[in-house]
Amino acid sequence: MTRDSHDVIVKTLARLLMPFMVVFALYVVMHGHHSPGGGFQGGVILAAGFVLLVISHGLEQTRKRMSEKVAEIISSIGVLIYGGIGVLCLILGGNYLDYGTLSKLLRVTPAEARSLGILGVEIGVALAVMAVMCTVFFAIFTAGESSQDDRSVK
Amino acid sequence: MEVTLLVEATENAFRILGKAREHAIGVLDTAVQLTAEETRFFEEKRGQLLFTGAQRRKTRFQNFVGTTFILFAFWILLSGKFDAFHLTLGAMCCVLVAYLFHDLLFANVRVGDMRIVVARFIAYIPWLIQQIVLSNFHVAFLVLRRKMPIDPQIIEYKTKLETDISTVALANSITLTPGTITMDIKDGVFYVHALDQKVAEDLNAGEMEDRVAHIFMEADHLYVQDVLDAARIYGSLRV
Repeated sequence: MTRDSHDVIVKTLARLLMPFMVVFALYVVMHGHHSPGGGFQGGVILAAGFVLLVISHGLEQTRKRMSEKVAEIISSIGVLIYGGIGVLCLILGGNYLDYGTLSKLLRVTPAEARSLGILGVEIGVALAVMAVMCTVFFAIFTAGESSQDDRSVK
Repeated sequence: MEVTLLVEATENAFRILGKAREHAIGVLDTAVQLTAEETRFFEEKRGQLLFTGAQRRKTRFQNFVGTTFILFAFWILLSGKFDAFHLTLGAMCCVLVAYLFHDLLFANVRVGDMRIVVARFIAYIPWLIQQIVLSNFHVAFLVLRRKMPIDPQIIEYKTKLETDISTVALANSITLTPGTITMDIKDGVFYVHALDQKVAEDLNAGEMEDRVAHIFMEADHLYVQDVLDAARIYGSLRV
């Protein structure tokens, strides 16, 4: 199961679709404050892209792009972005995640600062969700033959 | 007498010394030549490596730029917002994605052929739509008859297409046409489910395969277009 699929149709179409899926996910993230979507949805679509890559091209090919270690780091960075923006608002004298106070830092009107703050938080959420989804999927996928996964229960 | 002997001995000694010197020079010459050849060989190899490396970098850069433009067009299609903020965001996202996935979109494609392939693919679409409409009528005719004279069968179909992208294009064209479904491809053999004999015969005639091969410039047999051209020329000759 961890080897690549022998179906040439699935392989080729997954290869062709993957960049478009990622761009669509980023579109969902970036337009979350204008249209349906947002950080969580975009992150799930990103993770779905990697799941497609694992199913079609196998685990080894996918590990070159997104390994377990990288996923852990990215999930931490995502949470850091989310919490960092919240704490930054606290430091600037507002409530936690009170984006209006960011206007002092970004030198824009409070309304624009709210828009940008939400965008930043959504990027953090998307990164965290994508990385955690990938971690969960990798963990399930390699449950049987986890050779290099030293965190498995012994 | 003794003097003559002495002179002869000296001459002999000089002759031997001269021969030894010639030999030594010859050996040295050979050594120098060998060293030069070796150096040249390594330099040539290094030049070749540099050349292929430069070519690979060039291909990678072309792939990167092409992917970026295609993805940016896709982003504009999705976004529909033309203010500077969203366009900048889109450009950043597209450059990032193209950097990460530049090897996916154009894998196994000869770069120089891209424009011809795109033009021929666009020219192929109307023919495909015509085939879809025709076989739609055929299938509707089959199904709406009272006796419903269908004859389901699975045909094995050896293809002469070589690359995976052309194989996939043919498989999806077959699936898009009503009455036929590509079930599997194994080692260049298509397993196609066909609804009745006529559909299967149409498939075995292989016109669709020829046209797909023509798009991707494959298979050194006569293309449909060439056959059509030749037929026209023969017709004019006969008249």
